[in-house]
Formats: sequence, structure tokens, C-alpha cells
Amino acid sequence: MMLLAIWLVPLAGAIVNWAFGPQLKRAAGVVGCVALAVPFVATILSWSAATQNAGSAVGMHQALFSWMPGFDFGLLLDPLSLIWALIITGVGFLIHVYSVGYMWNDNAIARFFAYMNFFVFAMLTLVLSDNFVGLLVGWGLVGLASYFLIGFWFFKPTAVAAARKAFVINVVGDVAIMFAIFLMFAKTGSTSFATVFGHVPALGNWLFLVCVFLFIGAAAKSAQIPLHTWLPDAMEGPTPVSALIHAATMVTAGVYLVARCWPLWNASHEAQLLVGTIGGLTALAGALLGIAQWDIKRILAYSTMSQIGYMIMGVGVTAYQAGVAHFFTHAFFKACLFLGAGIVIHELADEQDIRRMGGMRSRAPVAFFAMFASVLAISGFPGFAGFFSKDAVIFGALEHGHPWLYVIGIITAGITAYYMFRLFFVTFFGTYRGDLDPAQVGVMNPSEPAAHEPAHGETHAPAWLMGAPVAILGVFAVIAGYVMIGANSAWNRFFAQTFPSANLAAPAISEGWTTAILFVVMAGGIAIAYVRYATPVALADAPARLRAESQRLPAILVKLFYFDELIDWLFVKPSQALGRFFGSIFDPDVIDGGVRALVGFNTGLGTLVRGAQTGLLRSYALVIVFGAALFAVYYALQGAAR
Amino acid sequence: MVLLLILLPIAAGSVLFALPRGERLWSRVIGCVVAAATFALPLLDPNGGDFSARWLSRPFTASLHFSWSGFSLWLVLLLALCTFCAILATNAAQSRTMVALLLMLEGGMMGVFTARDILAFALFWDLMLIPPFFALIEWAPHRETAWRFLIYNFSGGLTLLLATAAFGILSGSTDVIGGTHQFAGSWAPWIFAGFAFAFAVKTPLWPLHTWMPNTYAELPPPFVAVISAVQSKAGLYGFIVIALPFLRSALVEWRWLLVALALVSLLYGAFVALTQTDTKRIVAYSSLSHLGLIVLAIASANPVAIQGALVYIVAHGLFSAALFLILGYLEEREETRSVLKLGGLGAVNPKLAGAFTIAALAALGLPGLAGFAGELVILTGVFRAGYFWPALIALVPIVLASAYMLRLLQDVINGPQVAALPRRPDLTVIEALAVAPLLAALLLVGIYPHALLAAVMR
Repeated sequence: MMLLAIWLVPLAGAIVNWAFGPQLKRAAGVVGCVALAVPFVATILSWSAATQNAGSAVGMHQALFSWMPGFDFGLLLDPLSLIWALIITGVGFLIHVYSVGYMWNDNAIARFFAYMNFFVFAMLTLVLSDNFVGLLVGWGLVGLASYFLIGFWFFKPTAVAAARKAFVINVVGDVAIMFAIFLMFAKTGSTSFATVFGHVPALGNWLFLVCVFLFIGAAAKSAQIPLHTWLPDAMEGPTPVSALIHAATMVTAGVYLVARCWPLWNASHEAQLLVGTIGGLTALAGALLGIAQWDIKRILAYSTMSQIGYMIMGVGVTAYQAGVAHFFTHAFFKACLFLGAGIVIHELADEQDIRRMGGMRSRAPVAFFAMFASVLAISGFPGFAGFFSKDAVIFGALEHGHPWLYVIGIITAGITAYYMFRLFFVTFFGTYRGDLDPAQVGVMNPSEPAAHEPAHGETHAPAWLMGAPVAILGVFAVIAGYVMIGANSAWNRFFAQTFPSANLAAPAISEGWTTAILFVVMAGGIAIAYVRYATPVALADAPARLRAESQRLPAILVKLFYFDELIDWLFVKPSQALGRFFGSIFDPDVIDGGVRALVGFNTGLGTLVRGAQTGLLRSYALVIVFGAALFAVYYALQGAAR
Repeated sequence: MVLLLILLPIAAGSVLFALPRGERLWSRVIGCVVAAATFALPLLDPNGGDFSARWLSRPFTASLHFSWSGFSLWLVLLLALCTFCAILATNAAQSRTMVALLLMLEGGMMGVFTARDILAFALFWDLMLIPPFFALIEWAPHRETAWRFLIYNFSGGLTLLLATAAFGILSGSTDVIGGTHQFAGSWAPWIFAGFAFAFAVKTPLWPLHTWMPNTYAELPPPFVAVISAVQSKAGLYGFIVIALPFLRSALVEWRWLLVALALVSLLYGAFVALTQTDTKRIVAYSSLSHLGLIVLAIASANPVAIQGALVYIVAHGLFSAALFLILGYLEEREETRSVLKLGGLGAVNPKLAGAFTIAALAALGLPGLAGFAGELVILTGVFRAGYFWPALIALVPIVLASAYMLRLLQDVINGPQVAALPRRPDLTVIEALAVAPLLAALLLVGIYPHALLAAVMR
């Protein structure tokens, strides 16, 4: 019952908001929040049952129904899905509350909450499923929710294009998981986690292939190279959507998938190498691209991509606890960053370019303090949440024998500190630059203001609706890591029965030294950002400096490493060329031309026959069909009489 | 009972011609009642409804033998449902003629799907081609379309008849559908070829598909909904109930060709659908792609794949009927089928946009809707049958489907409103009712496809 409540209450909220949207108006927000509060409480109440060893396996399990012969559906709440469910419903609840304020004046607020609740239902389907097909259903449905919410302002062509791009790239991941399911089903005859993971040796030499295809799915959903290009574009959606779906929960589904499939990854060294490497490269690439962005949400998008790279690297090298820990802390500080950015964006009537901000410290103090905590957390400042989890991931890479990933992780940490403090200083320090001529700060194509249709009689939402969630998330951005202190931490004990414990030799560089190195690198990043953007000299000269930086950004970063162009040339353009060739040359000229030549079928013959027919259609139809029916009846009666 | 299924629509269709030409209300009422009756009949007695009468004794025995049990049941129900929805959606000035032809079409196809004798199957096969031909003559802008439809499909009908005759003469009886005995001998490949050609034209399978895009684009929407949803399944049904059980060895021998053509259809249709600009032609080519998947399932001859094929046959029927009806509403309102001219309708016609969204999502295989269930189970079975590469290649069109279906959907309902388009009212109650059952069924089959299989496998 408890599991069903966790799973289905958000769906009920979505249906209510969808069906009664026009009547509910702003009350849709209340429905939306309640539909998350209930499963959150239910998840907490299920805590002890989900972490206890009930007979054969850890967690609560409930079989539901047989979807098709051989495909059985059920729900599973074990420590791994418990952590995800807590974040989805808990952080999700805070984001829903915030959304009531953020969408206060949007006419389509009920539609918004219907989609948001639907997303939570889909995400819970993904993490609560006890088998790969159910996971895939959730996988596809979160993609749909993401599509709807990216394209929420569907009159904006950029939003529409971004939604389609996100969906199509995610379908690449969906079909890859589908293929992995074929492989597993063919070898083990089942798609349930328990059976597949109980028969890993049966996969034989297909094991690596299964991992590769599962990881393609993970990479598409979690914006790993080279399937990451949809994520920055997805920032077209309303900011709470970016916080919930494109930062805290959905994009971490790939981390969940790899962690869930740890028996496969543990058995395949090649898969560890592949996933660890892709994760490390994504972390680095995301951070590098984050340097060269001006849109506050796109900076956060690239930082999300980079941080998920860390998580993927962690679970990829089989440091599962560490990878999941980074998911846990990231959910708080990244949601806080996005929601804080949303407050700033709201304050400035939908301006998103940080060059046209400045001095926001006094205009948005809650956002300032919460984001300060979160920026320290994401940079890995000691004592803040990200410090514990990021340290664990980076050290885990070394511990599990991947020194190169260790180096990449440290370099990325320095870059992260730099670009996050760049965002922070440029946004909150100095004086407001929005009233300057855009060109003066280097903005060549200023965006159109006001993304949403202004409603009649706009009123202001109570400030706490947006302030309180940001403040709470800011507090968690500080304290969320405290459960992870020490080798025998609460976190490690929580997962003791879930993940295997590895006996690893102590690496050449100890954990203490790693912390020290990371601190130096991070401090270096912060120092560079400070010198460039926040010294009194730099602040006084900010417009000119920002203009100069805009003009000097390296093309390869501005063009985002040419990934979009590459995909366009490799896949999109050839597909369209093939389609045009088949549709307008091959079909009419080759196939039809061939048939015409073959049977002498030409318009002359057509004209000849048709001359005899015109005008008498209905009678013809009647005669032919009726005649045939009589014929049938005659023989039927004959047969019956005999 | 089962004869009623065939004769009632044909008789009602004939009677409708007695109504005055411009009649719009009673023809639709009668049509809906008849279609609803044909839906209800098999539900009242799912296992019964067997009729048999000796038809020929020489040169082989043939019977007028009809039954709706097993696999037929779902096609009969699908046909009745689609006919009902199509008649409900008929709103043209010539609705009397259209409803009459739709009913005759239904009667003919009921014969195909319930026949237990291959000769009766072949007879009704030809009969079911006649109403769409007249519809094309009557309403298609280009008369060549009608003739092309007829020549292609009657060529298939001819090889079907020849193959049936050969089958009957060599094996002694054509009253065999539902049985499983093997037909062997040196003639088997030729007989298989005769059947396969007819089925491949009707489905259609590449490269026999070129009659289809124009036919689907130019037929009135209620007609094309039934044709694409149900009539295209006659070939696949034939493969499953005739070719698979009786000519398995010939099928196995030629399966490489079927697999190859299925894969080409899958990819070719999807690529073309990416670049078409006519809404109905996009869906027509997507149909070529989607049905290639079912041919692939049949060629693999794997039981799991066949189960998936059954689900997908129903799923495709439901979403293609819904899509064509919705595109019909769209064309009626906006007077164009070009996606280049359409846009922004979601804000004006939210109900239309909502229905369109659900149908398009089902077509692109969204998990939770019926299309996904079929695709997943088909390809699981195909893979299990040892077809590693075909199963992998068949995933590409799924990605392409999401691209072309979203392009179609978004170009129509999203983006800024196009000033040049007429602003018409949203779906009427009748129009909404005509697609609602299809959409609801897509959701039901997607969530619990087992119900569908349980009735067939028993």
C-alpha cells in the first residue's frame, strides 16, 4: 500500500490538475504540492522497512501484475531507490512550493503543475521499478515530461526546438536500453533485476555489450559526451523545471542506472574503464564550457553536466557510494543555485545574461546567501556538502586504479571553483549594469524580455513562496555532507547491504593529501575569479572588462567544441538527404518508372478505361457488393439445406 | 451470428443508397448503430459464432466457413471500432455515400478476418478492395490514384486467387484456416510467393508501396482511417494465419528476403517521413515503416515476436486511425495539409492539439502506450530468434519516428500562431467522441497488453 501511495499519488495530482485546471487556477499549485508531500511522508515512513533485510533481499517489494507473458511488473524500495525517492519527493516538494510563486502570473499554471506532478510520477516509476522494462517505461515517461516542460512556453520557437532535440536524443538512449533488454532477456529469460543480476555469468561475452548499451541510455539521459547537447538548450523551460528535472533528479537517472546495475559493472572491467572515462571527460568538458557562458542558466546547465560527469565517473569506477553521495549533495546545492538564479531572473524581468546583472547582493539577499553557500558547496569548500562527496569521488578514482581520472577530477575541481565564482561575482557584486547599453557590456543580441504572457491583473506572490525553499536548500547545501564523515559514516552503513565492499590497497596518495591538493586547486580557482571579477579595480571597470572578455572568448568554447555541428553533419543532414532522395527521386522515378516500363501502365490506358465508368459510381458500387453478397447467401443457404 | 457480421453492414450499406443524396443525419445514425452492433456481437459470445457450409466439392473442397474466435476476434473488434469512429467522424456533404461505402468496406473486411476457408478469404479480399476504389474515384483529386490502387491491389488479388487454387488442388481442401498442418512439395515456394505478393502489396512492403502514399493522402479521412488502420492488416493477418502455419518451410526458406524487405521498409519509410511536408503523406510513410516491423516479426517466426506482432497490429490500427481522423479535422479547419503553412494551433484548438499529441506519442512508441508494448515484444522475440543485426537496425526507425512525429506534431500545434490561418472552433463533441475510444484503447493496451494476448492464446 505504502509503495503504491508513493508511486501513484503524484499521478493523481497530475490528473486532477489536468482535468480541473481551468477551475483550479492558482489552487493547482496547492494540489501539486500536496501530491508531493504525501509521497515524501510515505517514503520517510517506509524508511525502516526499505532498509531492512526481509528474508531474501533488502527492501520492500511488491509484485503488481504481468504486463506480458514473461514480463512481470513490481515495485521495489531498497536503500538505493529510497535515496532517489527521498530527493525526488523532498527536493521536488520544495521546488513545487517555489513554483507556486514563480508561475504566479502565468495563465497556464495548472498545466504547469499537471506536467510537474506527471514528471514526479514518471521519475518514481523509473526508480521504484523492480525490472528493466518498468525502468524503461519510467525512462521514456520522464523524457516526455521533460519534453512538455522544456516546451512549456510552446509559442517560443526556441523552446519548441529545444524540446524536440531533448526528446529525440533521449530516444536514442531509450532504444539503447531496449537493446540491452533484448540481450539480457535472450540470455537470462527475464527482465527483472533480481533474476538478471543473479545470472550475470550467463551473459557470457555479451556482458560488456549489455553494459555499453545500458550506458548509452544513461549517457543520453545524464547528458554525457557526446549526447549532452540537449541539456543546455533545455534551459528554455521555466527555471523550476531546470532545477527539478535538469539538475536534481531526471538527469541523474544515468547514475541511478549504473549504480542499480552494479553487479554488471563489477564484473566488467572494460565497462568500468569506458564509463569512468566518459564521466571524467564530461566533467572536464562541462567545466571548460562553463567558463565561456554568459547566460546564468546555461552556466548552471554546463556545471550540472560537469557534476554528473563526476557522479558517472564515481559509479563507473565502482565507487558506488561516492557517486551516489555526490548525487545526494548535488541535488541540494544545484537546486538551490537554479532556484536562486530564478529569483534573480524574476527580479530582473526575465533577464538571464549575467553581464546585464551586477549588484544583485542587495536586491536579492536570500538568493545571495543561499547561492553563496551553494557555490562553496559545488566548489568543494571544506565543510560544505559538495566537499565530502566530491572528495570521495575523486579519491575513489585513484583507489580503484584510475590515476588519470584522478588527475582530471582535480583539474576539473579547480575550473569549477573558477567559473562558479565568476558567476557569483559577476551576478551579485559591483553595480547593476542592466540599465547600460547592452553593447557596452558586450551583449550583441539582447534577448526579448518577458517570456510569459502577462496575465490580467498581475499580482505579486508572497515572497516566502520563493524565498523559503531557496533558504532551506541553502541550509542543506551546507549540512547534507555531514552524514558522510569518516570511513564508518552513516552513509556507508546505510549502503552496506546494497553495494559490495571492496578490499582496496591504499593508493600512493592518501585521502588526506588528496583533500589538501583539492583545497589548493580550488583556492586557486577562486583566487583567479576574485582577481578577474571582484577586486575593487575589476568592479570599477566591470563593463569594459566584460566587453573585452566577450570579444576574446576562444571560438572552440563559444562553438561548444563543435558537437552540435558534428551531430548535424553526421546524422541530421544525411538522414534528410536520404529522405529527400527516396521521396522525390527513388519513389516516383525508379520504382514507379520501373513499374510503368514493365507493365506499360500509362495515362493513356487509364483514360481509356475510365471513359466507361464516370457517372454511374454509386450504382456500380451497389451492384458489385450487393451481387457478391447475394452470391454468398445463395451458397450459404445451399450449404445449410444440404 | 457470424454471417450477420458480414451481411449486416453490406445490407445496411445498400439500404442507405435509398436515402436522398444530400442526407447527413440518418445515414450516420444508421451507420453508427450497425458498426456498434458488429462490435457488440462478438463480445456477447467470444468463443462462438461458427458458420460453415459446403461450397465446392470439386476440384477441391471449399466451404463458406466463418468464425471469429482467437486472433480474428481482435481484428473484428478493431475493424468494428474503427468503422464506428470513422462513421462518427464523417461530416462531408456526401456523408450518405461515404457511410454506405464504409459499411460495405466493413462487411467485406469482416469476411476476410473471419474466413476459415482460404477461398472465401480470397473472395472477400477482392470484395474489400472495391469500396475504397469507388471512394477514390469519387473523391480523390487525381483519378490516376484510384487506378493505381486498383491495379496494384488486384494484381495481388490475382496471385492470391491463383495460389489459393493451387493450394486447394494440391492439398484437397482450402477449409483449413485455424489448423496447422504443413503443406510441403515442390509447389510450396510458388504458392507461398503468390500469397506473399498479395499480402506484401496490401501491407504494403517496399518496393510495392508506391500506390499507398497517394491513396492515403487523397482518400477522405474516414476512409483512410479504416484502410490504413485495418485493411493494411489483412496482408499481415494473411501471413500469420495462412503463410506461417501452412507454408512455414517456404517461409523459412525465403525469410532472408522478407527480413531484408522489412528492414528496408522500416528505414525507407522513416527517412521519407522525415522530409515530407504533407501531413497525411508523413503518416502514410510512417505506416510503411511501422508495418515493416510486423513483417520482421512474422519473418522471424518466433512465438514471442508473433505475440508482439498481434499487439502491434492492434496498436498501429488504433493510432493510425486516430491520426488520420485528426489530420482530417485539421484539414477541414485549416484548408491545407502542408506543415510549412500550419502552426500555433495548440493555443486556438487545445482539444485538437491534445488528441493529436496522444496519437502522435503512441505512434512514436512512447512507453506506456500501445505502440511501445508491441515494438518491445516484437524485437525481443526477433532478437531471441537469433536476428542480432536486424533487431539492432530496427531500433534506428524508432529514433527517426520520434523525430518525424514530433516534427509533424510541433509544426502543427506549436510555435507562434500563423496569422494567415483561419481561426476555427475546437473539436465538437461528436468529433471528440470519434477519437476518444481510439485514444483510450491505446492507453489500455499500453498499460495491460496481457489482456489482449490472453484472449488469443487461451
